[in-house]
Amino acid sequence: MNKFQNIRSYWNKPQHAAYLFILPAAILLIVFNVIPLLASFYISTLNMKISFDNATFVGLANYKEALTDARFLNSIKVTVVFTLIEVPIQMVMGLVMSALLTKNTFTNKLFRSIYFIPIICSATAIGIMFQIILHSNVGLITYWVRQIGIGKVNFLNTPGLTLGVVIAVSVWRTFGISTIILISAMQNVPTDYYEAAEIDGAGKIRQFFSITLPCIKPSFWFLLMTRIIGSMQVFDLIYTLTDGGPNFSTETLVAYVYTKAFDSGSRMGYATAMSEFLFVFIMIITLIQYYVMSKTED
Amino acid sequence: MSLASHRGDRMRGKMKRRRLKSTLIYIPIMAVFIFLALVMLVPIIWLLLGAFKPDAEIIAYPPTFFPAEFTLKNFTKCMQRIDIIQYMKNSIIFSVGTTIPALFVNTLAGYAFARYEFKGKNIIFVTFLATMMIPFQVIMIPEFLEIHMFGMYDTYWGLIIPKIASAYWIFMMRSAFAGLPRELEEAARIDGLGEFGIYSRIMLPLIKPALVTMIILGINGNWNDLLWPLIMTSTSQMRTLANGLAMFVGVRTIEYGAAFAGASISLIPMLLMYIFGQKYFVEGQATSGLKG
Repeated sequence: MNKFQNIRSYWNKPQHAAYLFILPAAILLIVFNVIPLLASFYISTLNMKISFDNATFVGLANYKEALTDARFLNSIKVTVVFTLIEVPIQMVMGLVMSALLTKNTFTNKLFRSIYFIPIICSATAIGIMFQIILHSNVGLITYWVRQIGIGKVNFLNTPGLTLGVVIAVSVWRTFGISTIILISAMQNVPTDYYEAAEIDGAGKIRQFFSITLPCIKPSFWFLLMTRIIGSMQVFDLIYTLTDGGPNFSTETLVAYVYTKAFDSGSRMGYATAMSEFLFVFIMIITLIQYYVMSKTED
Repeated sequence: MSLASHRGDRMRGKMKRRRLKSTLIYIPIMAVFIFLALVMLVPIIWLLLGAFKPDAEIIAYPPTFFPAEFTLKNFTKCMQRIDIIQYMKNSIIFSVGTTIPALFVNTLAGYAFARYEFKGKNIIFVTFLATMMIPFQVIMIPEFLEIHMFGMYDTYWGLIIPKIASAYWIFMMRSAFAGLPRELEEAARIDGLGEFGIYSRIMLPLIKPALVTMIILGINGNWNDLLWPLIMTSTSQMRTLANGLAMFVGVRTIEYGAAFAGASISLIPMLLMYIFGQKYFVEGQATSGLKG
């Protein structure tokens, strides 16, 4: 009993209790994040199917194979194109909309909550929705496009066009997040800055570029980086909307990794090696982010 | 505006002209807002309405917006084709079952980082944060193998346990606890409350809005998660709505009515949650974008 009480009072000291408090999270993060990350480097050097039995060590062969795999190189190209188009459109739309919707009036709040709705919908529901809205024969949008006189467009099965459609759906789905984040940044800009500018006779547009933009720079950078990282990992929309088709023209890196590992072939080692490329890209972006953020802080 | 009254006539005239100009700009801006709102809403409403249209009407040309004929057949057909009740049950077990232990584990850790001084605090915290940078796709294959080795593949345990701890939520909870006054815990300590008691009975109730945000965003995120249940389950018995429906539909389905019904069933709980907890959705997203 006495011993038990000793233990109890030892762990009840704040500086000791802290370790107990972080223990569950620490164990889970180590087992399900840190160990898998370390294991991934090892797995990427193996030739293995779904289990560790029959795994053979192949060194860097998986990486070499990736660099000559046309489908892998294509998936990188698709991912880069997707990111380079989707992110700027989304950021500009987010900036314009948030500048117009900054004030907390009733209509502004209403529009904000409408623009936010797609974010709560699953990619599965969005995929089903747009597969039929963009259907080559009976789709609603296909019908409207035909009414305007553009002719019959096969949105989801035209190489070149389909990636653009996926980008549009992706912007549709997530620009509400950018808008909300930028609005809360803009609301934090001190109002006397604007009052001073008003007295100096600066117009709204001038105010936006000279006051708003510099003031929200940290949030803007943070958002830009998270959007880039998110776009590079895009998978669910592709899976539910096009499954990488037509002709792999919308197959992103993650979609290809998933296919190689879980869909056909189950080449775990090779798929892991390909995913390490993503890891390197994201690491580079994160480092840029930290560099820029530490600079803007001064 | 208040300053204008202290200025001369010239200034007042300028303001008036500006106000006229702003109403002129207001109309096209309003039109853009309304147009965009329609772009956001029409597909979702069209899907929900489509669930009540007979198959023949869904594939009719020209397409209709409102159902000409109202039917519930799609829902019965959806239930015959896939075990949607089981998917629903799994979605609830996965999303709620992950969020509740996550609430405990992540607030506990966030609390320790916010309120305690201990050896190695900074290095441990930075290590925790660093796990946020690991893209999920890099660790998904090792995690899959790990869950296999633990014998948890295709079980609720395998779905739930790896998703509990999250550096992101630990970080958010740390910020929520950081603002609370020191005197509270000191008074509680004098009253003889243990450390866990201070956390659970005094401090936790004070960050209720942050907890509600975490519950709502957690449930929504897991409910919609596609890739994770796709990897961690194999039998139809274990599928969630998100991956079960996606696998049923595939690309270029032919059973539109049943697909619409299934998608509506998966959407409606989230839409209801959004309508009633909108504030938390928006706040949760907004604070995630502010660095601090």
